[in-house]
Amino acid sequence: MNARISAKTLRFLIVISLIALWELLPRTGLIPELFLPSLSSTLIAGWTDAGEYGHALVVTLYEVVVSMTFACGGGILLGAIVGSLPRPRVLIMPMVSSLYAVPLVILYPVFTVWLGIGSESKIAFASIYGFLPTMLATAAGIQTIDPQLLLAARSMGATLSQRLVRVIIPAAIPTVLSGLRVGGALVIVGVVVSEMLISSAGIGYLISRYRTILDSPHVFAGVLLVLFLAIAFNAAIRWIERKAAIWQTGTRAGQANDEINSGAMQPAT
Amino acid sequence: MQPLANVTPLKPPARAGAIEVKNVGQVFRGRSQDVVALEDVSLEIKPGRFVVLVGPSGCGKSTLLMMMAGLRQQTSGTITISGAPIPQPDPDRVGVVFQEASLFPWLTAEDNVEFPLALRGVPKAERRAKAQDALKLVGLDGFGKRHPHELSGGMKQRVSIARGLVQDPPVLLMDEPFAALDEQTRMTMGDELLRIWAATGKTVVFVTHSLTEAVYLADEVIVMSARPGRIVDHLQVQLPRPRTYEMLSGDAFGSLRDRIWRHIRKSA
Repeated sequence: MNARISAKTLRFLIVISLIALWELLPRTGLIPELFLPSLSSTLIAGWTDAGEYGHALVVTLYEVVVSMTFACGGGILLGAIVGSLPRPRVLIMPMVSSLYAVPLVILYPVFTVWLGIGSESKIAFASIYGFLPTMLATAAGIQTIDPQLLLAARSMGATLSQRLVRVIIPAAIPTVLSGLRVGGALVIVGVVVSEMLISSAGIGYLISRYRTILDSPHVFAGVLLVLFLAIAFNAAIRWIERKAAIWQTGTRAGQANDEINSGAMQPAT
Repeated sequence: MQPLANVTPLKPPARAGAIEVKNVGQVFRGRSQDVVALEDVSLEIKPGRFVVLVGPSGCGKSTLLMMMAGLRQQTSGTITISGAPIPQPDPDRVGVVFQEASLFPWLTAEDNVEFPLALRGVPKAERRAKAQDALKLVGLDGFGKRHPHELSGGMKQRVSIARGLVQDPPVLLMDEPFAALDEQTRMTMGDELLRIWAATGKTVVFVTHSLTEAVYLADEVIVMSARPGRIVDHLQVQLPRPRTYEMLSGDAFGSLRDRIWRHIRKSA
């Protein structure tokens, strides 16, 4: 084969070989099935208990969607207020920034006391978990709008509401989306982690329960499901980005954002 | 057009495009002390003239331009455009062209040019037609569908000029419009601007740091001093039009530029 391989084919090859290794390493006995069950036995485990996993997926999806609505809706709303008005910014920003450094998972046991071990406590935890980055990104996005653009709009006779709808919102969209990407990923993390800790349903709960009985194929079936959830979310965000933020393509800002995002997604819990 | 109810017609209304600045002062209220940015500035610009404002950094030339645009109110004195004061921006009377980066990056070139028309609800078809005319005037026929990041620096400023002209205001104010461009593009854009100016007959007020650009473009050059900004000289540039590159090395050009430079060196 020629040395010229596009990044896309290369990525595809890497994924394919990882999948092949997943199947081959346990099969040949290089890695015990307890540590890493082969892909086929994982899929079989998932398939035979598809009903159970389907139910868990519904529970988890429901929690993710509700939490995301709270986290992103609230984060954008409060971020817009904080970003555009200096007074609340002075009041709130220092608190939010220090809160961001706290491992919020310590709050989860408190939520289960308040709200029980059902979906409510997960939604509360994941909402707060995803809310902070969304809010910070939105505030930053609105604060960093080029004042020249607002001045230009004013010189053309734009009223305050016209400036909001025609300048501030479109100008803030790329930064807000990058906040949604981080916030949404954290919502998924928050839901799954809280399910694993104290819970009675959901994918995280299944993973945790099968782990206690050392049923590795079933554990990995759950892991695979979470993986697909995260990939699907990422694809959805990319699609929205392409639709809404067309104007960023080809700019340095757009590429820089991408790098920051992929970096920010690594540290999860 | 703004209602002129509060203006007493003592004299016949000035022609469209005339600018009158009378005893204008601007004081910025600082935390510890007030800063006088402009002091007792008076000047009169006749319709259709190309006037360049130069001066050291911080002399208030951009502030003066912003006040002519209605984007900022003077602390004292009066400014009239086409015979009426300008308490807020009025794109029917005044178009403004800023430095680079004042195009909306999420809109195509033609949507950018249409922006001021869209603000006042002009129907789509009429908007498009006017934007096409403006883009043709600045030499960007066929580039309407591109986004700003797909255009060069010079082309972006052409779009800005088209946007400033799309409502056909008699006055065009330009705040260092070519400052971010490289030297060659800057020269070309100067010639382009003179061509557009000759074709439209607008009154142009142009702020720049470049003395060569000032003399090359202007009918009149107004030199301002450092803070507090005052007018220290008002030169008539008698060089024939169209201006050519050969003039840049001529004696007349050189002596005008030296005269401006001496003022600026004194106050800087």
